[in-house]
Amino acid sequence: MLIAAVIGLAALAGWVSCDRDGADKSGVNHLTYWPAANAQEILLAKESAQLWNEQHPETPVLVQPIPESQSTEEVLLAAVVGKTTPDICSNIWPGVVGQFVRARSLVPLDRFPDFDSLATARLPDGQLESYRFDDGHVYQFPWKTNPIMLEYNINRLREAGFDHPPRTYAEFFAMGRAISRDLTGDGHRDRWMMFVDIQMKWWLRYFDFYTFYIAASQGETLVRDHQVIFDNPAAVEVFRFFQQGFSEGIFPHASFQGDTFLSQQVAVHITGPWNIAHLEKFKSDGFAWDYAPIPVPDDHHGPVITYGDPKNMVIFTTCRQPERAWEFVKFLLSRERDLALLQTATQLPIRKNLLSDSLFVPYYAAHPRMARFAQQAPHTRGVDTVPELREIFDALAQEFEACCILGRRTPEEAVRRAAERSREILQ
Amino acid sequence: MTRIKHKNLVAYGLVAPYWIHFSIFMAYPLIFSLILVFHKWDVYTPMQFVGLRNFVRLFQDDLFLQSLLNTLLFLLIHIPLQIVAALLFSVLLNEKIRARGFFRAAYFMPVVISGVVISLLWQQLYSQENGVLNLLLAHIGLPKIPWLISPEWAMPSIAIMATWKNVGLYIVLFLAGLQTIPSYLYEAADIDGASVWQKFRSITLPMLNPTVLLVMILSTIGGFSLFIEPYMLTGGGPMNRTLSAMLYIYKQAFYFNRMGYAATLGFFFALLILSVVLVQRKIIEQEPE
Repeated sequence: MLIAAVIGLAALAGWVSCDRDGADKSGVNHLTYWPAANAQEILLAKESAQLWNEQHPETPVLVQPIPESQSTEEVLLAAVVGKTTPDICSNIWPGVVGQFVRARSLVPLDRFPDFDSLATARLPDGQLESYRFDDGHVYQFPWKTNPIMLEYNINRLREAGFDHPPRTYAEFFAMGRAISRDLTGDGHRDRWMMFVDIQMKWWLRYFDFYTFYIAASQGETLVRDHQVIFDNPAAVEVFRFFQQGFSEGIFPHASFQGDTFLSQQVAVHITGPWNIAHLEKFKSDGFAWDYAPIPVPDDHHGPVITYGDPKNMVIFTTCRQPERAWEFVKFLLSRERDLALLQTATQLPIRKNLLSDSLFVPYYAAHPRMARFAQQAPHTRGVDTVPELREIFDALAQEFEACCILGRRTPEEAVRRAAERSREILQ
Repeated sequence: MTRIKHKNLVAYGLVAPYWIHFSIFMAYPLIFSLILVFHKWDVYTPMQFVGLRNFVRLFQDDLFLQSLLNTLLFLLIHIPLQIVAALLFSVLLNEKIRARGFFRAAYFMPVVISGVVISLLWQQLYSQENGVLNLLLAHIGLPKIPWLISPEWAMPSIAIMATWKNVGLYIVLFLAGLQTIPSYLYEAADIDGASVWQKFRSITLPMLNPTVLLVMILSTIGGFSLFIEPYMLTGGGPMNRTLSAMLYIYKQAFYFNRMGYAATLGFFFALLILSVVLVQRKIIEQEPE
């Protein structure tokens, strides 16, 4: 009943509020654009829209931040059901695109004649193919990436006798054993190497298991050709890493209010470039930190690949002016707007020559920490676009909890069980 | 005739708001859910008729069975704890103690506070490393308890929290029951030289029997709807040991977009609650006057 009531209300809301021809009272055809609902991206979107509107008064853009909710995906789901989707959205997580395509709610972008030339000019080689859907079309344009890296407290590591961040699991544990300790003498630890969220929420595993798995497996994801591919030694190794971290007490078995890295309760943290602005704003005097690639198994060779946390742009089929919407998307993807993305939102555009482009070089010189993320950006992976991804992550999260946090299963058994469950889900 | 017609129109007009509300928020969702039971639907794409496949799946679903067992475990801890705690506090608050009104209000306070707020508060109390409860235990030399992170402790911890939140409501019911007991019964017992315990066992408890049964039914129905506490505190973990039936249905619907299957689970669960309540009602009806 609850289900039907929610869906009914969403549909009703859609019927009531749907602006079917995109025209305002004065008859001007506007485009609605939903950016992410954080302050920096709203500011960026408003700047972009203002510039666009000055140049294109005949098709002004109306910025509406994605309505507040637990996740963008929930809001977009309600919007798809209620047919209240915007014309353009720039905060699309690739994992949800499969569902939107099946619902026929996205415009295939490769129908636009200049799509290929734009994609070729902008995207790193081979990247576009990873976003091509089963039907051969591309429904999302890769826009920005937030490579997930290891954030480390320089002073804390130095105090423990280390002059560089951990590169391998062995180094990580050596540092963890030196850093994790009981400071107050009450027999319980107050400082740890790293905080790993122990809550049973599937999406949290993107920032621990999945990130470390991509690094350990040299860029493998979870599913290929609708087949589970994560039952491999790399996944077992990652499960063992986290299990050992909890069993040795270098990860706390606790939830905390506030930022454990900023309060220096932990020495390292897994995060993306968005955290730079946060730390710069709230850090205490003398707090020094930097970023490094994710630690990898001791026998790892080659560059370290990480989770890219990409967010892409789409045009919804409710849009009555898809050609104009595509023009606006191209405007947002321009070099100048990409520089604004760096400057205003401290996030990285997905584009070729990100480090060497003369437009961006001065920015990196002034922001060396962002340069670390830009160096990592070419070595990232996104997520699989299968509609069942959330359930697969839920299965992984359950095994992660049983094995790593609670130590009730061996890593081999946990990975096998998660893979078996995922195969059932994909059937 | 016209007067009768006019009276009818007025009557229809007066019941119309309720019927409109009932049709939109009760009848329509109920009928729609019944249709969903026989379909596969992910919200995005058109429904597919699947006949009884959702029921077949339900009876093969080990996790749903576990969620029912988890809910049963919660009820087994929560209901006795609720009755004992509410009875104890109501007897105390029925005495002429100082600041009685304040205490009555204080015990009722958690009932009116949002479950989300209370869950966040207890999350801090239960924290393994720095929670108040474990700090107190450590202070008196006892080992820390993994309240929410041990599969064995998690559901009892949630039951304790739910009891704390709801006890005020049942205190009110018991207080109402206590005030209906004629005072001459206690006066006669005093003349006979009965002790406090004898008066409680032989007068208070038997006279409160209908209230105890009412509290039991309300606690059972409330306990079956266990959702906010595990949703906020544990997400159904550790190892699915706090995955209540309601939380499982919610996850099927809103995490995995399996609307048809979630509707099937919902109907099955509603029938289960109805059966339990009917059995309880039968027991009440058999109670001697």
